[in-house]
Amino acid sequence: MMVNAELYVKDLPGQLVGSLEPISLVDGNIVGVVHNREQMVNQRICVNVTFQINGAAELDKLKSIWKSRDVLISRIGSVFKTQTMEYMLVGSFTAAYVDHLIDEASNVISFESVDVSYSSKNSTSTRTAMISAEVLTEEDLAKLDKFFAAACREGGIVYIRGL
Amino acid sequence: MRILISGFGTVGQGFAEVLASRRAFFEKRYGKEVKIVCVMDSNTYVCDQNGLDPIELVETKQTNKKVGTQKYTDSIQIMDSVDYDLLVEVSPTNVKTGGIGLINITHALECKKDVITVNKGPLALNFDKLITLAKKNKCKLRFEGSVGGAMPIINLCHENLIGENIRSIRGIFNGTCNFILSKMDNGQPFEQALKEAQQMGYAETDPTNDVEGFDSACKVVILANSVFGRNVTFSNVDITGISSVTSEAISLAASHNMVIRLIGEVSDTKLEVSPRLIPKGHPLSITGTLNAAQIVSDLAGPITISGRGAGRLETASAMLSDLISIMDDRE
Repeated sequence: MMVNAELYVKDLPGQLVGSLEPISLVDGNIVGVVHNREQMVNQRICVNVTFQINGAAELDKLKSIWKSRDVLISRIGSVFKTQTMEYMLVGSFTAAYVDHLIDEASNVISFESVDVSYSSKNSTSTRTAMISAEVLTEEDLAKLDKFFAAACREGGIVYIRGL
Repeated sequence: MRILISGFGTVGQGFAEVLASRRAFFEKRYGKEVKIVCVMDSNTYVCDQNGLDPIELVETKQTNKKVGTQKYTDSIQIMDSVDYDLLVEVSPTNVKTGGIGLINITHALECKKDVITVNKGPLALNFDKLITLAKKNKCKLRFEGSVGGAMPIINLCHENLIGENIRSIRGIFNGTCNFILSKMDNGQPFEQALKEAQQMGYAETDPTNDVEGFDSACKVVILANSVFGRNVTFSNVDITGISSVTSEAISLAASHNMVIRLIGEVSDTKLEVSPRLIPKGHPLSITGTLNAAQIVSDLAGPITISGRGAGRLETASAMLSDLISIMDDRE
């Protein structure tokens, strides 16, 4: 899991390294560090670090190491990398149908965001819609792929998805 | 090396021309001659154990529209009457039954002869059976030219990426569809783009195999079986062609900075040919008749290759690499 933590370390040489080293000790992988010397509280400097870690057990171990080294944790939480995918539907349908489809899909997975646009031309019986969906995991994306594929097959709609 | 060529259309003639142009190369590399001892086209054949002149064969075919003077009805009978080491099977593809190509390849392998083919039908329908037969009889079955023409995808996966775990292959495996979709990017409707493809000789009079994705599906099956070790056939592929892709869809994709391309996708779990939305600038957003593929492996990550997917000399180039590989193995 990806974790973001805001730490406060004493303004002394070696304290920054001392706060980051425990992440490696629990097999974590540091993705980014911001050492903000301007954000000082009680002679302590703010360090914002984002890292990958295997699980909750390692995170608990890390917290206890930080505590033993006098590193204060002011905020800690998970961060997520979202997955986006585009779906194009070509066929005979209405905007209400697409809205209904998205409502149905949101029963299967939770969207972070979803956006629909339609082709401007509407002179033929076919219509084209582009759905841009943002979800949390690849598993959600796979579920969404399956959902649209099945729904479009059932509705006789051509379905074109992104890579 | 004595070669029997079955099928003497564009690809067969191209291969004969390449053999003629690489005569000195073979003599230098192996110290021996590569001889064509027999050629069969759809109705006629010509054989000579001392070797036939490749250029004369091509000239005869182009002048007389047939390669030999003697007619035949049973290709097996001709094959059994000739001493040869390698069958080059380039007869027309039949994706429904495998056609004469399947019969010839099976017979050659049963007779412990090596085989080079670009015929997708037999490979898409009976890959497992043919490979098993080749292994059982300790002979080689090579088919680089069957996927992507001059684009070296199969041998790349089998040789250069041999130690990698290949996770997926996605690619444009049909130049005709790519030509049509590229033309549609410029505003032409599907029917007009197809007509232009036919006029330029990229699409056949009956374009079903290309535009409905059947040709790409054959290639996806070959990749699934040969690279991923799966045991699938044509009927296992989830196929959607490009005939239902509208100009509106192309325009809407363009407004999102994307293009639509017919993509074949293979992995341990996927086997699919369908139109996909590709961001402009992505390696698979190429235009024209080119083929392209993106191989994703565990160590190397994504590797992209592209090249001419069809053509007389382009396909012969892939067959030449197969021939050299077989001759190297024999050394």
